[in-house]
Amino acid sequence: MFLENTVVLSRMQFALTALFHMLWPVLTTGMGIYLVIVEGLWLKTRNSDYYYHARFWSKLYILNFGIGVATGIPMEFQFGTNWAPFSEAVGNFFGSIMGFEATWAFMLEAASLGIMVFGWERVNPIIHYIATILVAVGANMSTFWILVANSWMQTPAGGKLVDGKFIISDYFQAIFNPFMKVSILHMFFATLETSLFVIGGISAWYILNKRNAAFFSRSLKIVIAAVILVAPIQIYIGHLSAEQVYHRQPAKLAAMEARWQTIPAGESADYSLVALPNDKAEKNDWELSIPNALGFVLEFKQKLSEPVLGLKEFKPENRPHLVGLIYYSFRTMVGIGFALAGLMLITTLQWLRGKLSTGNITEQKWLLRAWLFAAPLGYIAIDTGWIVRCVGRQPWTVYNQLRTVDSVSKLPPSNVLTTLICYATVYTMLLFAALYFGSRIIRKGPNLSLPIPGIESQPALDTKPGEFVPDERPVEAQQ
Amino acid sequence: METLTYFLPQVWFGILALFLFLYVMLDGFDLGVGILSLTASNEERRGILMTSLSNIWDANETWLVLMGGSLFGAFPLAYATILNALYIPVSMMLFGFIFRAVAFEFREHANRKLFWNIAFGTGSFLAALGQGFALGAVLEGIVVDKAGHFVGTTWDFLSWQSILVALTLIQGYVLIGSTYLIWKTEGELQETHYKTAKLAAYTTLIGAIFITISTPVFYQSARTKLFEAPLVYIFAIIPVLGIWLIWQLLGSLDKKQDKAPFVWTILIFVLTFIGLALVVFPYIIPTEITIYEAAADPSSLVFMLIFVGFLIPIMIFYNIYQYIVFRGKVTSHQYGGE
Repeated sequence: MFLENTVVLSRMQFALTALFHMLWPVLTTGMGIYLVIVEGLWLKTRNSDYYYHARFWSKLYILNFGIGVATGIPMEFQFGTNWAPFSEAVGNFFGSIMGFEATWAFMLEAASLGIMVFGWERVNPIIHYIATILVAVGANMSTFWILVANSWMQTPAGGKLVDGKFIISDYFQAIFNPFMKVSILHMFFATLETSLFVIGGISAWYILNKRNAAFFSRSLKIVIAAVILVAPIQIYIGHLSAEQVYHRQPAKLAAMEARWQTIPAGESADYSLVALPNDKAEKNDWELSIPNALGFVLEFKQKLSEPVLGLKEFKPENRPHLVGLIYYSFRTMVGIGFALAGLMLITTLQWLRGKLSTGNITEQKWLLRAWLFAAPLGYIAIDTGWIVRCVGRQPWTVYNQLRTVDSVSKLPPSNVLTTLICYATVYTMLLFAALYFGSRIIRKGPNLSLPIPGIESQPALDTKPGEFVPDERPVEAQQ
Repeated sequence: METLTYFLPQVWFGILALFLFLYVMLDGFDLGVGILSLTASNEERRGILMTSLSNIWDANETWLVLMGGSLFGAFPLAYATILNALYIPVSMMLFGFIFRAVAFEFREHANRKLFWNIAFGTGSFLAALGQGFALGAVLEGIVVDKAGHFVGTTWDFLSWQSILVALTLIQGYVLIGSTYLIWKTEGELQETHYKTAKLAAYTTLIGAIFITISTPVFYQSARTKLFEAPLVYIFAIIPVLGIWLIWQLLGSLDKKQDKAPFVWTILIFVLTFIGLALVVFPYIIPTEITIYEAAADPSSLVFMLIFVGFLIPIMIFYNIYQYIVFRGKVTSHQYGGE
């Protein structure tokens, strides 16, 4: 029974806490860049709309940030509590990278955030803008280091395992491991694209309800302009990423495609669309596929130049299980990527036809509803993408080097079960509370009567610098 | 090479001690204010208490993340074994952090603020309690095999000594929280915290006396170390200095000084910290594994030193800049996000 198995429980806990945590830094990284753009536009044009955009969206930003910090700290400590043998084995490299994330990224972000959120009236606009930029830089540096660490687990490089510990001989080779560049770009664009569709979806909601329609057309148009670039680039990077998996993690690719039999080089194969993979029987019970399409998907040509290995090529203890989960997670992610790009195309078309002008935009009801519907899709794509990446990496923590079963701390299952239940309960509550308070901020709408720095100097924060009060007590009492 | 294998772990022990000290000092007053908020009589007061932390709490908490990350990189064995052994107190702390962090954001938008105030206060208490147990358990020693792997049970952390340490640490946090509030508030609220600071100073002192006596009495390893030259002289000076500092603190509270109580409290924390570090050094998993045995590969320590070392003064600088930007008294419960 899995309830008595520490390995399964610790994996479940890591999966739950990672998938839940992942939802929050998405906005802090992607929306951080958006905030840099609108504040920059404000400083350049002095158009107060941009200032109010910066103020409004930063309210959602900080709500996200708080939950991101709250759920991120358990991640930092979980490697030690639940994965002690892993931590000991990889500390030389993986541990250093965790240290870099904290010093390079996390501290920069946390210290600048105070000024960005509460400092509007306390520092001059240029210093404030620098703080906003540093918050975005910090958040994205966090993506950078985390993806360096995770990519290294996928394609370990720069050293070797000696007596159960990784000794690194070339740190730069370890940092620039084979997966690193494409993985970082894929995640960077994922957070950016998701954030853009969240901002676009919320803006669409206001326009649909004819609340501050002109104000929110502005943010919607910034989003559309950015998405025209981001959505296709992301699909292309996704393709590069799958290509890398094809060459370096064939067992994962086989699971992503639910392919049990090997296809030799020089042949063509079908691309599976829907299937019912059966782990025990080592075949798909049922399948619907496009004939001869796999070669086009992987290499843009009909005949494969390299063999596509099937799952049966690997011993059961050396290949990922939960094939159905990996297969459908991959298809969900890819499907969302194309759906968002499709929505971008239709919207661009309508924009070119002049349908998004101030007078017409509120009439585009179906288009706006589609944007609203698209707002949560990026999150689903990100979480399913991480499922493919990390469930597909199994049974290894460090690919082909260190097994998951050898990575887990020896803990009583009851302890892990207790914390797992606590995380599940607390995180469910957090999700509902975040949605409730987030929608509350949205329903309340932007406050367009805030003082604009440099125009009126009325403090928004009711704290004032210390005043000098002369000490009137007798001299003996003064010290 | 020989000197390098000693020198590098010592440098990293120093850096980790600095991070941990900055954390204990800065998040210490955050947690203290959180615990004090449970006793605040009305909504406006609780509001001011939380506002006094709103812009700095996450930067303060980040020192712990920094400590965790650097411990992982510099002493992987210690990171793995200690966290494995302290599963329960560390989980307590983490859940405490979660409640505390989200309470800041949700309270702002809630109609019924009391719920989130309680989440903030109890979260702070839970985090402080977990940290106290963890500190107590580490000082007491962790059961490990020859390779330094944890072989005890997850309830080992609980003992009279660790309960004593936990209670004292909570008192210490309340003390530094009170003196922080004396610095950041005025009027009636400030008056209240002159009282709580005084009370906490006494209870912390009592706890510290007990710990100072019980540690050498019950622990062989501490005893042999403490009563050997040259450390015996240092350990003779520390209690004397400690009592003098508490005397100064009580004096500054009686004189109703504004900033001095906070400064004296920090000095008391520094002194305690130096004392504890000297008791522990050169062990990183008391009482078996030294920093030299637990250290990462020397190349790794150099690599980290290059990439982290130069950032330390920069991080300290921009943290100080933040305090300068938000200097002055907090007078209203306005959160300031709007």
